[in-house]
Amino acid sequence: MTIRSNIKANQTTRMNVLTPDQCQELVYAAEEAMWRTGTNFHDEESLEILKKAGCWVEGTRARIPAHIFEQALKTCQKHIVLCNSRTGARELFVEGYNSYFGSGPCTPFTRNPFTGERHRATRQSVGWATKVLDALPNIDYAMSLGIVQDVPLLISDRHEFEQQILNTDKPIITVCVDQWGQEDCIKMAEIVAGGEEELRKNPFICLYAEPISPGVHCKEAAQKLVMGAKKGLPTIYTPCIMAGGTAPATLAGVMVQGLCESLSGLVLSQCTREGAPFIMGGVYTILDMTTTIFSYGAPELSLLLAALADVAHYLGIPMFGTCGCTDSCIIDEQAGIEAAISIAMTNMSGANLNHDIGYAEQGTTSNLDLVVICDEVLGMARKLTNGIRVDEDTLALDVIENVGPGGSFADEDHTEEYKEENYMPKLISRAAREIWEKAGGKTLTEVANEKVRDIINYHEPEPLPKDVAAKIRHIVENAVGHMPGED
Amino acid sequence: MATLEDLSKAVISGNVAKAKKLTQELVDAGVAPLDVINQGLIAGMNVVGVRFKNGEMFVPEVMVAAKAMSQGIELVKPLIAETDMPSAGKVLLGTVKGDLHDIGKNLVGIMLESRGFTVIDIGIDKSPEEFVNAIKEHQPQIMGMSALLTTTMLHMKDTIELMKEEGLGHVKAIVGGAPISQDFADEVGADGYAPDAASAVDLCKSLLS
Repeated sequence: MTIRSNIKANQTTRMNVLTPDQCQELVYAAEEAMWRTGTNFHDEESLEILKKAGCWVEGTRARIPAHIFEQALKTCQKHIVLCNSRTGARELFVEGYNSYFGSGPCTPFTRNPFTGERHRATRQSVGWATKVLDALPNIDYAMSLGIVQDVPLLISDRHEFEQQILNTDKPIITVCVDQWGQEDCIKMAEIVAGGEEELRKNPFICLYAEPISPGVHCKEAAQKLVMGAKKGLPTIYTPCIMAGGTAPATLAGVMVQGLCESLSGLVLSQCTREGAPFIMGGVYTILDMTTTIFSYGAPELSLLLAALADVAHYLGIPMFGTCGCTDSCIIDEQAGIEAAISIAMTNMSGANLNHDIGYAEQGTTSNLDLVVICDEVLGMARKLTNGIRVDEDTLALDVIENVGPGGSFADEDHTEEYKEENYMPKLISRAAREIWEKAGGKTLTEVANEKVRDIINYHEPEPLPKDVAAKIRHIVENAVGHMPGED
Repeated sequence: MATLEDLSKAVISGNVAKAKKLTQELVDAGVAPLDVINQGLIAGMNVVGVRFKNGEMFVPEVMVAAKAMSQGIELVKPLIAETDMPSAGKVLLGTVKGDLHDIGKNLVGIMLESRGFTVIDIGIDKSPEEFVNAIKEHQPQIMGMSALLTTTMLHMKDTIELMKEEGLGHVKAIVGGAPISQDFADEVGADGYAPDAASAVDLCKSLLS
C-alpha cells in the first residue's frame, strides 16, 4: 500500500480568467465608479433609503461612499439555499463553487415544438416549457421561457407563475412585470409553502430584477429589489450590458460597469434590510458591431461571465450566470456550438446559478429542442469538471499487470467497478452508420424534438394539492394590473 | 488641389480633421456649397452605408464617418439658405411611457443621422401626449416609437390613436424594439416596423420616397 503525504490534488477541473489581485482591482474600480459617477434611482423610496444610510443623493443620482459599500459586502447573506416547492427539501446550495443550471425568462416568442411555428409565448407554451424543465435530469430550476401574452399583458406574470408552480416542484426564479406582480407571486408562493415564515425558511422562489445599463435603476427594478430585501427572499440583481453600447468597449470596462450597477443594488438591498439574501450576476456581452444585436452567442459572453465568477468567488457572494443560448434562428450547428461553449465554460468557472438555457434567435425566442440538447451538454460539461481521481486504486497497476500486454480490460472486475467513469450520453449518437440510418437517420435536433414531445405528452410533474391550486387561481383571477409609468 | 472625391474618401475613412480641411479648401476654391455637401460629404456617407450593410464596415466606423460628415456640413451650413439644406427627412424618436430602455432607439438615431436624416430624439418614458406635442412642435415626416417591455408597448397604440385624433395622421408612425413584430405593428396601425437600426433607415427612406 502506498502511503502519501503533503500532496495537493484537484478534486475538479480548475479554471480562472482572473487572479484574486485582478478581482480586487475590478472591485475597487467599481467602488470608485459607485462614488465618483454613481447611478440613477428612479424611485423615491430607494433614494430615501440610501440617503438615510449616508449615501450622497442629488436628484435621482445616488453616490455610494466606500465604507457603506464595504459594509454591505459584509452583511449580505452569502449562504443561500433554494428548495423543493412541494416538500421544502433543501436542494440548491447557491454558494461557493456549486454550479446549477436552468432556463431563461421573458422571451417574447417561442417555437412551437409540434408545429415549428414561431409565435408569441402563451400560458400553454410556458406550461409545456416548465414540464420539460421538470423532466430533465440536469436542469436544476425553472424560469419561464416566455412572457405569457394570451392574457391581459399587465398581469401576465401571475399567469406565468401559476403555469410554473403547477408544472414543476423544482425551484423557480420568478421575473415579474412590476412590484405589484411580484407581490402577488410572493403571495402565491407563500400559499404553496404554507406561510410567509415557511417560505422565508425554505424558499423555493428566487426574485429577479435588473437595472437598465448604463447606471439606471428604474422604479420597478428598485421596488422589486427593496421588496425582496424586506421579505428576506433571495433576490437576483443583474445587469444585461453590452460592450461598446451600454458599457465601455474594453472587457475590463464592462466588468466595472456591470459591478457598479449590480453592487449598487447590493447596497440598496442591505440598506433596506441588513442581511437580506442577494445574488449578484449578469448577462455581460458585446454589442455586435455589424448587426447591432445584443449577442447571446458571442465568446465574449462566456469569457466575461467566467471572469465575473472569479470576482464573485473573491467577494464570496453567490453569482447568477448565463449560458446555453444562441443567436441562431434555428437549432443548427451554430446553436450547438454557442450553447456548448458557454455551458462548458460556465460550468468550469464555478458560477453558481446559471440561466438562459434554451434562449435562441438572439434571446427573442425560446426553443425547447435547444433545452433538451443543453441537458445533454450539461452532462458532458459536468464530466469535464469531474476531474481525475488519482490514487492507488485508480492508477490500476495491479490490473495492468494482470491483463498484460495484448490482453483486454473489457471483462475485468475493475472495469465493471469503475464503469461510472464513463459518461453515458442519452441524446448524442455514437451509432455506426448502418444502425443510425436504420433508426431513421435523424439529426440531433430531430431526436431532441421527439424527446420534447414525449415529455409534454407523457411526463407528469408532482401535482399541487387541489386546494392550493385553487387558491393560486383565485389570486390570478383577481390580479390587478398597473399601466407602466402611472404610479 | 482637393477634389470632391478626396473629400468623400476622408469621410469614408473617418478622418474628421481631413474632412474639415478639405471642405474648407473646396469652399475657398469656389466649389458650389451644395455640391460640396452632396457630392463630397453625403456621397462619402452613402458608400459607408453600403459597406456597413455588406458587413465590411462596423458601427464605430460608421459613427466616426458620420462625425466627419457632420463637421464638414457645419462648415458649409452658413453659406446655404436653410431651405436649400439637403435633408433626407425629419424623424422624431422616443421611448414610450414607463419604459427607460433606449440603446436601440439611440442606435437608430445615429444611423439615421449618418444617412442624412434630421433626428429629434425626445428621450425616454414619453406619454402619448408628449409625443403628440413634440410632433406639433417639430413637424417631422416620421415618428418612431421604441419599447423593450411587452407591457409598455401597449402605449404605442394609444399614441398612434392620439396622433390621428389630433389631425396628425399624415405623419408616418414606425415602431421597433425586442417584443415588436410586423404583426404587432399592423395591429396598432403603424406604417412600418424594422427589426434593427440599419433596416430602420431603409424603412424611413422607403416611406418618404
